[in-house]
Parts: sequence; C-alpha cells; structure tokens
Amino acid sequence: MTTIEVTVNGVNYSREVEDRMLLVNLLRDELGLTGTHIGCDTSQCGCCTVHVDGRAVKSCSMLAAQANGAEIVTIEGMARNGALHPIQQAFTECHGLQCGFCTPGMIMAVAGLLKDNPDPSDEEIVHGLEGNLCRCTGYINIVKAVKRGAELLCGNGDKSSRR
Amino acid sequence: MDHHLLEVAGTHVSRLEDLRLVTGSGRYASDWNLPGQLHACFLRSDRAHARIVSINAGSARKHPGVMRIFTGADAVAAGHTRPMTILTFKGKDGMQARVPARPALAHERVRCVGEPVAMVVAETALIAQDAAGLIEVEYEELPVVIDPEEALAAGAPQLHDSVPGNLPFEFEAGDAAATAAAFARAAHVTRLKLAVTRVAPNPMEPRACLVAYDAREGSYTVHVHVQGVNMMRKQLAAYTGVAEEKIRVVARDVGGAFGQRSLAYPEYCAQMLAAKELGRPVKWVATRSEGFLTDSHGRANFVSGELALDRDGKFLGLRLDWIADMGAYLTPTGPVSHIRNPSTCLTGVYRIPALYGRWRTVLTNTNPVAAYRGAGRPDIAYVIERLVNQAAAEIGVDPAELRRRNFIPPEAFPYKTPTGSIYENADLPGLLEKALKLADWKGFAQRRRQSETAGRLRGIGISTVIENTGAGLFPKDEVAIEVAADGAVTVYSVSHSQGQGHETTFAMIVAEALGIPTERVRLRQGDEDRPLFGNHTGGSRSTVGAGSACHLAAKKLIEQGKTLAALDLGVEPSQVEYANGTFRARDSQRAITLGDLAGAKAFSATAEGSFSSTFPNGCHIAEVEIDPETGVTEIVSYVAVDDCGRVINHAIVEGQMHGGVVQGAGQVFGEHVVYDRNTGQLMTGSFADYTMPRAGLVREIRMEEHPTPSKVSPLGVKGMGESGCTASLAALTNAVIDALRPLGIHHLDMPLTPARVWGAIQAAKSRFVRK
Amino acid sequence: MYSFHYIEAKSLKEAGDLLAANPDAKLLAGGMTLIPTMKARLAQPSPLVDIAGLGELTGIELGDGKLVIGAATKHHDVATSGVVKKAIPALARLAGLIGDPQVRNLGTLGGSVANNDPAADYPAAVLALGATVITTRREIAAEDYFQGMFATALEPGEIVVRLSFPIPRRAAYAKFPHPASGYAMAGVFIAGTANGVRVAVTGAGPGVFRWPDAEAALAKNMNPAALDALVVAADDLNEDLHAPREYRAHLVKVMAQRAAAAL
Repeated sequence: MTTIEVTVNGVNYSREVEDRMLLVNLLRDELGLTGTHIGCDTSQCGCCTVHVDGRAVKSCSMLAAQANGAEIVTIEGMARNGALHPIQQAFTECHGLQCGFCTPGMIMAVAGLLKDNPDPSDEEIVHGLEGNLCRCTGYINIVKAVKRGAELLCGNGDKSSRR
Repeated sequence: MDHHLLEVAGTHVSRLEDLRLVTGSGRYASDWNLPGQLHACFLRSDRAHARIVSINAGSARKHPGVMRIFTGADAVAAGHTRPMTILTFKGKDGMQARVPARPALAHERVRCVGEPVAMVVAETALIAQDAAGLIEVEYEELPVVIDPEEALAAGAPQLHDSVPGNLPFEFEAGDAAATAAAFARAAHVTRLKLAVTRVAPNPMEPRACLVAYDAREGSYTVHVHVQGVNMMRKQLAAYTGVAEEKIRVVARDVGGAFGQRSLAYPEYCAQMLAAKELGRPVKWVATRSEGFLTDSHGRANFVSGELALDRDGKFLGLRLDWIADMGAYLTPTGPVSHIRNPSTCLTGVYRIPALYGRWRTVLTNTNPVAAYRGAGRPDIAYVIERLVNQAAAEIGVDPAELRRRNFIPPEAFPYKTPTGSIYENADLPGLLEKALKLADWKGFAQRRRQSETAGRLRGIGISTVIENTGAGLFPKDEVAIEVAADGAVTVYSVSHSQGQGHETTFAMIVAEALGIPTERVRLRQGDEDRPLFGNHTGGSRSTVGAGSACHLAAKKLIEQGKTLAALDLGVEPSQVEYANGTFRARDSQRAITLGDLAGAKAFSATAEGSFSSTFPNGCHIAEVEIDPETGVTEIVSYVAVDDCGRVINHAIVEGQMHGGVVQGAGQVFGEHVVYDRNTGQLMTGSFADYTMPRAGLVREIRMEEHPTPSKVSPLGVKGMGESGCTASLAALTNAVIDALRPLGIHHLDMPLTPARVWGAIQAAKSRFVRK
Repeated sequence: MYSFHYIEAKSLKEAGDLLAANPDAKLLAGGMTLIPTMKARLAQPSPLVDIAGLGELTGIELGDGKLVIGAATKHHDVATSGVVKKAIPALARLAGLIGDPQVRNLGTLGGSVANNDPAADYPAAVLALGATVITTRREIAAEDYFQGMFATALEPGEIVVRLSFPIPRRAAYAKFPHPASGYAMAGVFIAGTANGVRVAVTGAGPGVFRWPDAEAALAKNMNPAALDALVVAADDLNEDLHAPREYRAHLVKVMAQRAAAAL
C-alpha cells in the first residue's frame, strides 16, 4: 500500500491505495468521479483521458501512485459556476456526441490539444485526436466541435457560423 | 419544428441529453454500485474446441477474499442453459431451427475461445482476477473449424450433437424454377462471390452488469445496458427460467449498442445465479479484450450472387447462395437478422422479376454473431450493388444508367416485391439524379485525368439502397405522458437511446403536439417503476414506433385534458379548446393551463400504437483516390441523398448518417475480426490489432434530403438509424474497384487495407507483364 | 495486474541499487509500454522502481555539435522543444509522430530506447544519427546498443541516463503507421552527417537496422530517384495480419524515398 495525496478538481485528497491501483480506478472507485470512463485495456481508446499537472494523459495507463502530489482535472472539473467550459459548449452545439461514452475523454483530449495549439488546422485536429476513439459520430462533428471550441476559447463566441 | 439548435437554460445545444453527458454526469452500466456488492471475474476458454476434462479450483477457492467459484455444473443445475430465440418461422422444407443449448458457464465442452468456463466471485475485482488465474483447467482438444464453408463440408468437426452438419437452419425465399428460367434466357450473367466480413461492433462502453437478489420477493434487479428493458427482461427470463415479473432491469445511459447490446449474455445469467446463492449483489465489468472475444460479432456473411440481364441491360433474375456464419451458438437475433432482412429486401431498389435465395446458417468455433447496425440490410445491399456495378462494367454501360433502366419507378409504389414485401414509397430516379448532381458525376472523367497526372488512381462508386426498418419484437409500442403541477411534462417509453438522442427527438414530438417549449418535456426511458409495453431501440424503428406513440399520447392527453378542464371551466368538453399549453372555454375568457390542471388532478395519458416497417432509401456516391505506391485509399468525396421521410431533428439525422457511413467505411477499409484457421485463436483481440475508424477517415459528407413521407407513422417519418451503414459499404467498395478496374481488377473483398490494395495492384501489374 | 511493490526512487543510485538487489525489479518511467503489459498480466515485475521524476534524467542541452537529451524527457517535450526543432528538426518531428498525444505526454526517450520495440520510432533516429547511449556505467554507440527485438546492450541494473545526438547536416524521417496500433509498420530515418549518409529502418524487421545499399546510393546522389533501382529483400522482415513482408519491404523503399525527398 502507498499513501498518496492528490488534488482533483481543486479538492485535496489523501488515500492509502494498493500499489497496483490505476489512476482511473482511484478517480472512479475511490473518489466516485465516474465521469472518467474506461473503454479499453490497451491504452488506445482515450475514454479515460484526464489532465495531470496540465497534461492530457490516459488515466488507465498510469498508476495512482505515479500521480502522488499531482494536480488532476477530470471532466467533472471543467464546468465552472454552472457554466459549461467552452469545449463542452462546442460539443453540445455541434452535435459532437451521441452516446456520450467517449465524450469526457474526448473533451479532455481536445482541451489538451487546444492548449498546445489554439488554432489548429483540420490536419492538426485529426492528428490531435489520434488517441481517442468514438464509435457513434464518425468524428465529423467532433472535428467541427474542436474548431468551434477554439473559436469560443479565443473569445470569438459570436462567430457562430456552424452551418 | 425543424430545429438545429435548442436552447436550454441559456445554452445552445443540439440535444437535451448533452448537458448531462458533456459534464461527466451520465450514468452508464459500470457506474452503478450497491452496498455489499461482490465482484465477478470469468475464467475464459483459451481453446477453440475442447472437452473439459477437469477444473481444479482448489487454490483459487482458498485465495483470501474469494466467496465462491461457479462452473458449468452450477449453471446446468440451475437450469440456466438455453438462450431465447426469435427464430420461430419455418425454414426450407418446413425445417425448424435447431437451437443448441448454451449453459451460462460452459459445461463439459468449450466451442470457442473466450467462452466462460468458471466465474470467481470475490470481495474485489482484483482478488477475483487473481483467483481466476489460479484455476487449472484440463482440456482435451477437439478439431477446430473456423471457415463456414468448411464447417458445412462432409467430415467437418461437429460442434453440437443436436445440430447435425453444423447446420442449425436452412431457408429459401423466392421462386427457384422461375429464376432458373430467367437465367436460361439471359443475354448476360454477372457472378461475384462476396465476403461481408466479420466485424466487432465495439460500442465504446464495455459490457457491465450488476445483479442484486431480493430473497423476500424472490426477485432480481439487473443493472445492465439495454436497447430496451423489455427485450432484456424477456431474454433473461427465457435463459434462466425465472419469471419475467421477478426480473427488474435498470438502465440509464447506454454507451453505444449497434445491435450488440440487445442480447442477454450468459455472464448476466451466471451473475443472477451467484447473487441468489450468495445473497449479495454481484458486479462484473468486462475489459475490452473480453469484449473482442465475447461481445457478439456482426455480419460474417459469405454470398455467391448471380444477376441475369437481357440484351438491353434489364434485370431478369437474381440468385443468391448465402452462408451466414453464426459462430459457436445461435444468438437470439443473429439468424433472423441475417435471413429475414436480406430476404425482405432481396430485390433491392430494382424491378427484378425472378428472385431466389438460399440461406444456410452455419456453426463454427468462433464467437457468436448477432445483429449489427443494419443487421443483414447492409449485407444484401452490398451484394446487390456490387453485382449491379460489376454488371455495368461487364456490359459496358454507365452504372448510373444501368440503375435508371432498372429502378422500380415512382408510380409503381406501393410495390410488392417477388418475395412478398411491400415497399411503401420512394422516388429512386429523383434520388439518383440529385446525388449525381451533388457529386458532379459528369465532371468525374476530368478529375480522374487530374489524379492520373498526379500518379494516383481515382474511382467513383454509387450505391442506391432501400431497407425495411424493424417492425419490432412486441406487436405494439406504448408511451405514457404525465404532467406535473408546474407544467413540466414527463414522457415514459421503453425504447431506449444508445446515443440516438430520443430525449430530444421524443421531446420535440410531444412539444409540437402540445404546443409547448421542447425544454419543458423530459423523457424517461425504460423506467423500472413505470413498466410499459413496447419495443427496444433497434432496426431503425424508434421514431417510427415509440416516436409515433409519443405523438398519439400527446393527442390523447389533450383530449383527456379537455374533459377535465371542462369540469373546471364549467362548460361541456366540446366547448373546450386547447392551444400552447392552455385549455380555454370557447366563448369565454376562462382558461386553465396544463400545469394548473395537473395540480388539481393527477393528469396523465397512455397511448399505444402498432407500426409496421418503413422503407427508407437513399443514393450514396463515394469518390476515392488511391496512392498506388502504398495502396492507401483516401475518400475524397462522399455524397448522401436520403429519403428518411419527414425529419424531426436535422442535426440528429445528420449525426446518425455520419455515424452509419463511417461505420461502413470502417468495415470497408480496416475492420475485420480474424481467427487463426488452425487453432481458432482470435488474432484481432484489441484496438492495437483491430483497425477502428479514426478521425479523418471520412472528412465530410455532403447530404441532401429527398423525402417521400410515410403513412406508416402519423409523423410521416421513416427509420434512418442504419441507412448510412447500409449504403456506404457498397458505395465505397464500388469506388475503390472503379479506381482499380483499369488495371483489370474486378473485385476485392473487404477490408481494402493498404496492403491488400497494393498487393492487388502488384498482382495485376505482373499479369500485364506476363501478357 | 498482478500485485507488486511500487517505489519512487529518490536518486539514480537508489534505483540502481534496487535493481541490483532485486532480480525481478523493473524501472518505470512513462510506463506507456510497461503498464499495459502488466495490465494484461504479461509481466510481473516487483518492485517497480519509478524514475520518471529524477532530475538527473531530464533536460535538453545543445553544445559542441551535439544535442543531449535526458532519458526521462517526454516525447511531447522533444517534439515541441525549440532547441530540438532548431538542432535536429527531424528528431522533433519523429517525436511528434510517436503514439498519440496522451502517450507523448507520458512516454519517455529513455523508456523507448531501453525497451527497443522493433516498431518504435526513436531507435531509427538513434541509429541513423549515430547517437551515443549514456548509461549509469558507460557510453554505448548506437551500433552496439541495439541487438534485435526487445534486446539491447544494457546489462542488469544498468540505466539509460541520456542520449547524445551528433547534429547532422540534414535529416528526415518518414513513417508508415500501422493502421490499428499507430506503431511504425515501416519507418525510415535518413541522416546526412559529416561521416556520410546513414539510413536506419524501424518497424519492418525484427529490430532497427541500417540499409547500406541506400546509404551508398544516397551518398552518390542525395535524391529519392537514387533509390529507384534498389530492392529491399523481404526474407528477414516482419509479417502480420496487416502487412505481408513483401509489402513491408516495399514500404521501406517508399518511406526512404519520401524521407529523402524531405531532406
């Protein structure tokens, strides 16, 4: 067992965990943050993407112990004061989700992408989504949502030229 | 009502369910937990076909935290042995389906890799996994058969004593003699042998189930993903022998399904056994690896097709020999969807006077096959549309022109096909011309030359399809509507979204009928405390069925409201008018709102309706460019013109079309479940080996609607959840073959991977060199 | 995952001592290969010695004709480093093609090189650039370091500390990704150095290898057409569901030509 301390969505937690516990299990099973999903066991699908110290990572491929001392943001930490995060807003506007299972990971990955590259091209968006699978949308509206999210994040919210 | 965006709490959204899902507040199957729950882990067969000699669970049983280990003997003792089937019609020469037993845990014999052999129930999931690793199973290996044609051959390894020849069901449709006569007088016959490959549906949510048993009531509560609670309950009851009223199925958000989640899997029945015996809830969450092994696969049809044409290119007859690989056991839906749907649409969009098809379902040492988005409809559309394109090439006629010559003309609808389906309506020439224009069919030759100059091969492919949407397992759909004192309206339905957005579409239907804002309407799907009659979401049927029932229920609510309001307003019911949420007495100023009426008296209405198949249809045109150096295909244009009848929410319909087309593209270009022919081991058991479609595969789909409203539903809608998939397999494959045809390539089976396309190009080139 | 004991190493020395004392111990850096392998119960190391946070293993430095990168440097940091982009842009590009964004945010250079997956990207750059692998015990030339599928010259307890890349005159990397996994099905790194042209191939064979014929042809004429006449022998190459060896052999040439065109 290892004792870890983490900050998740601004709240400090201290837990004694089994060494083999994955970060995603800490979030889901110990902290009850079930918005982070598990879609595969080989690190391809990206459903479990969260931010650890500001970087998008797959929480199914990281031990909880490795996150000791880290600042973690999950999908539950994206909306603030009752208002959606611009990327969440963009996904709802662009019909960028259907079943919603990949969506939290997708949104966290996009948040990482837009942090590194606030105005990505189509090609850069496609490259930036390589770590996330979606089975419902065909990705077309997800790519649109990334662009819309970029607009909203740079304060261009009125340019709502979705169609 | 034709909305693209709704406004909810000041936020613009495409769908009402989105606010929950984008914030991580959805509730999927693995998100449920109950106090005192135990965890299950399944030890799975690593052999494709073997006799179980012994199971030694001694040390696993002693592992700290292990409660109990169950094996096939327990499943058999409990009678959890025979899955339900909906295959009740008779086959060739009156044949009855031979449905083999499938104990919830394998008993005495395993017939495919991944079959559950033992279930460990322990205090934590990790302990259960650790203990499962300690169980020793001794197997005596039996010969393996993977290929369905080989499984039918004399002397093939036999899977079940009760299914001689590995042939559980044989079926024929059409008129063999008339078709033979048509072929005898044909000027030209086109033949293709086509593999509609085995694929893994792979909804993003892995399977999960949590079962609790109430000893006082003798009842089970099963938290699981569904496509509709009723169908799940019915199957669980059939599989376990527990009465339906003793099973309560609970589901909220479902992370994709595509037909795969309509089944009651053996694991759930094994958990019911454990929950009852141990008196504590038992939870199981599958890994994706388990999913690849055991979640039902899709398609897996191998079809020899022949199309007979006269001198003018008119179709005379179509003959199919269809082999459907069912895997090691029959699923409830698999054989039906692979036979009934193709035979219903056997003539495609064409007038083909003579039809004959023979279907053989076959058992092999592979994971069972069931319905997968389209469920036989993409398969038959692929077969017909590949044959039509091939015929066009062989007789030297433009593929669009050959379609024009053979379409069922608009004036012929309703059209009774030679196999007895009645297609309601369609404007096929109109669809085609619209699609040709949108795709700039005429400009293709020039674009092809430009690609050639750049060293690339360009091709264009059409597919024009029609399909029957599901009439449903239950004969009718029931919807209830309740009004609260604050005027909020709650709608209850069985039909359960797995991403289709019922919460929005059904709310829009009810809101329109009641003349109130959509945001005032909430949908509860499969509410366990509000049991209703009705069908699951599958076969593109939900808006047609439950959606129409929503409309009827809203109308009924208004009528009942008038009677109630009349008492309040002191007039005769006939003197009450309703508009936009308010009942008014004609000729007076008195009025009462829906909410106030509900505040005074419990106010609800339940309506039911019976809705048959609709026939959505469409024309898709794909254009591709192939890099002959690498064999990589790029989809450079995709056009979809569809007749979905009246559209309620355009964003949702577009989204369904996107998803369907890309699922088809996934199958055409990469997805393929492969078993080793000798050992029966699964070669594509993870996302690292199984090529899922990713962002960028299809960049854009240009869409137009071409509706001919349906009278099946009072809404005028046609089902459309599967249309994209039905059309895209053939459109994309036809485009690739068109690009390769100048090299002398007439057919390639999916998946058209870079390696396969490159290999075909090399082989073709060496043929040229030899000539 | 089997049970194991996790230890966050405080120093390289402590990590080395733990490895020396425990034959089943394994180092954990990004964990992008190791953790999925352990989840599949295909490996059962213990203790797991986490060295990701060691300051001794980080940093990107340029000097004396060499670019030196700490072993725990993440792919994302190599891909986006201004220093790397300026000194060896092809190396930054390669790092940006590894896995996916989330993998690049955790996976490390040292982890990739120590694991020596035959389909990993970094080994192509290390071998083509003639880099030196600097360990806790010695300096190993790339030539001597890679020893075939998942095999390296590393001895038990020896830890990769940093890599030193000589700055080439020009370099380029072209990769054909595996359609499902994204690993290299064929990846070719070409470096034009003071000592001639070096061409290294990853993904196609059982381990990274140099392609002498291509090096000779490009030395005469640094142009894709110089490779036209060459044929890559397929015999010793990898084969799987997605690519027969003949296809891989062909891709090696096509990727080499595309890399040459990008030089």
